[in-house]
Amino acid sequence: MNLAPLRSGALLLLAGYAVATYWVFTRSTPLVATRPVVIRLAHWQIERGPPEGIAAVIQRYEELHPRVKVEQELIPDRIYRQWLRSNLAGDNGPDIMEWGSWVEGHKDLPARYFTPLTAELAQPNPYNRGTSQEHLPWEKTFHDGLTCPKRDSPDPGQIYAVTITETTMRLFCNAQLLREVTGSEAVPRTYDDLRRIFALTKRYAALTGRPLAALAGSRDNGRAIAETMFSGPLLGLNQRLDDDGNLYLYNRKLLGAYLAGRWNYRDPHVKAGLALVREVAQAMKPGFLQLRRDDAMLEFFRGEALFLYYGTWDATTLRQMVPFEIRTLRLPAVTADDPIAGRWIAGPLGEGQGETTLSLYVNRATPHREEVIDFLRFLTSVPGNQRFTDHSLWLPAINGVQVPEVIRGFRDYQVGHAFGQATYDALGSSVSLVWDRNFHHLAGDQGSVDKFAEVLDQAMPAAIRADLQDEVRNTLLLVRPQDAAILGHASLGDDSPAGQRHRLRQQEMEASQTISEGQLGQARRALDFAKERP
Amino acid sequence: MSSVPSLPRCLCLALPLWLLPLGGAAAPASADLNQAWGALADNRLAEAQRVLGAAPSTRPAQLAWAVAEMTRPPVTEAHRRAAERVFQELARGDDEVGAQAEYLRARLHQLHDVPADETGAAGLYRALAARRPHSHWAQLGLVKLALLELYRRPDPADAAADRLAPAEAALAQIEEPALRRDLHLQIGQAGVALQQPLGRLLPHLVAADRLGGLTSAAREDLIVQIGVLSLRAGQLDQAQAYFARYLQDYPANTRAYTVTQLQEQIRRRRAQESAP
Repeated sequence: MNLAPLRSGALLLLAGYAVATYWVFTRSTPLVATRPVVIRLAHWQIERGPPEGIAAVIQRYEELHPRVKVEQELIPDRIYRQWLRSNLAGDNGPDIMEWGSWVEGHKDLPARYFTPLTAELAQPNPYNRGTSQEHLPWEKTFHDGLTCPKRDSPDPGQIYAVTITETTMRLFCNAQLLREVTGSEAVPRTYDDLRRIFALTKRYAALTGRPLAALAGSRDNGRAIAETMFSGPLLGLNQRLDDDGNLYLYNRKLLGAYLAGRWNYRDPHVKAGLALVREVAQAMKPGFLQLRRDDAMLEFFRGEALFLYYGTWDATTLRQMVPFEIRTLRLPAVTADDPIAGRWIAGPLGEGQGETTLSLYVNRATPHREEVIDFLRFLTSVPGNQRFTDHSLWLPAINGVQVPEVIRGFRDYQVGHAFGQATYDALGSSVSLVWDRNFHHLAGDQGSVDKFAEVLDQAMPAAIRADLQDEVRNTLLLVRPQDAAILGHASLGDDSPAGQRHRLRQQEMEASQTISEGQLGQARRALDFAKERP
Repeated sequence: MSSVPSLPRCLCLALPLWLLPLGGAAAPASADLNQAWGALADNRLAEAQRVLGAAPSTRPAQLAWAVAEMTRPPVTEAHRRAAERVFQELARGDDEVGAQAEYLRARLHQLHDVPADETGAAGLYRALAARRPHSHWAQLGLVKLALLELYRRPDPADAAADRLAPAEAALAQIEEPALRRDLHLQIGQAGVALQQPLGRLLPHLVAADRLGGLTSAAREDLIVQIGVLSLRAGQLDQAQAYFARYLQDYPANTRAYTVTQLQEQIRRRRAQESAP
């Protein structure tokens, strides 16, 4: 019997085994973790940019801190809500997570699961040593002073998150298609110009038989443009409702004002806004509410839509993937000389003037609070955020970071008023649901502003009451456990430096708890008032 | 030279070892309590109770246990009752723990009862203030009591009652500046909600700001609010001062544009007023 082939096979197997063993022990992840601290960071920004940017920051941080491993978990936005809630409820939540107050049905999360960072934000960020931000409190190093986390905080005296980028909404235009449809390269300067392009696109599609819409459509993109359009005429009404003089209307105030009969969906300002929403809805393909942002993106990629309106967060993906020339524009604002809605426009509407976002929150139950905060300090330091910006091509949130040339234009903001926490379609989960469920009364050939407004005013009182009750419930969720924390800090307070920190924290918590209870009193009063109304 | 009688050398050597069990027994008790308060400060309620054990013996430890019991999930009526029993017992003592326990009893009635027992809570806050007027917890209780009075349902028999007056009267009893600030702020905010004249509520907001120490959105909102309400009240100098401060402290905020427009409005009004 010839044993040579067998022997060669065995040798080959042995060599393969040796190579695999060498590879496993020298190149791949070790069988036993060598880093005792593992931090999990979860977010839904799976588009091109942020994962690469955050990974670059992690790589540098791990070089600086051999004890710590940071794992980035990319969770698609379709499942993020369920994923996050079930993990937090099961005591398996990530240490750091992205959250936003607009995430439907999630308003209770900060009070239940997140921990404030106020005290840390009042101190300088040690990773800014040697930079222009070296001596500033961490909070002041953010481009906007953390407007969004302050506004979204369940607790008016506390800040629960840090932000890592800055975004705005833009109209991405297929330049080649624009030439085909309009016969010109001129981009719209006014909203009326855009209106004309909507009409030309419809005509062009009918003439050529091509499936073509002026705006790429989906529920997400539709809501985004609708809310921008809706805001213009609402400014005057918001100003009228601002009894507090905050130059800003928190949702709870608007919900209370509706229940008190101070505005409704048939108000002329609201109807002017709805008319604009109908115009942009008509510029999308029918049935867009059933689609998501990826569908709109594909429609734009296929050359079946002239414009895509969405956040600058999609810019990196678009830049890398589309086969045609893209022009990035600001959505022209509806101004006082607009032939249809102009008389309801009370002034120019701002684009947020550089509000920072991608808010990262810390899990109250994290066993590694110190390391987690240290990592967030690095991520939002000048060198850390520079790394994020360079690798993601997303705008930085931190002052002193150099903005790469290709994205400098994103900071060209429309300056103007910015008055509300949300537009009247998204004051709470129930309001949002009623809006979506009835939107067909506004869009489509059979839809009309009057019909939609009437239907909303029939269905909204219950939804608005439910959303205000949610605000009350969430405030209670927040203030109840604060007594335990206040007592804890009070009992640890003494004249030592640590004891003084506890005293300060006690005082801050007492102040913010009292403010929350005042808001609770006002919300309950608004609900009582509504009960008494016929 | 020492007047202390000398001890046999062997006893001197043995003494530290002999004392060790005593020191060893006392130190962890205090450390455990601090660990429990630390856990409570971070809202780690189950951990606080685990550290304290099932039947803590000292008054502070019993208080800490009941504080955790009152809030720890799952929230049940049994937990609430168990916490109240402990608070009730501790409140009989005439010390800091007694005052804390009485305050927390009121909080149970106000925030944890469903529906809220605001009358019961108000009675407890009043009793605490009467028994220990200078205690921090009695003073904090007065702020909470004032809030209850500001937002209580109107009594049909007394619909025209001055809602701000009881809270304003409470200010005279509150000695701690931070608590005075909080109450001034709440009177001001309630004044807006209850549509009181600006001349009455604005001084409370200004007093809250002057006492200082507010953080985050609370501070930012207050500065812009005093500016806008002062403008509405025709107090242009005060409005201008607060707008200038807002723009200095929050130049990149989304409200900055509107504030600039309001400053321009003030300038125009002044120009009109000074025109011949």
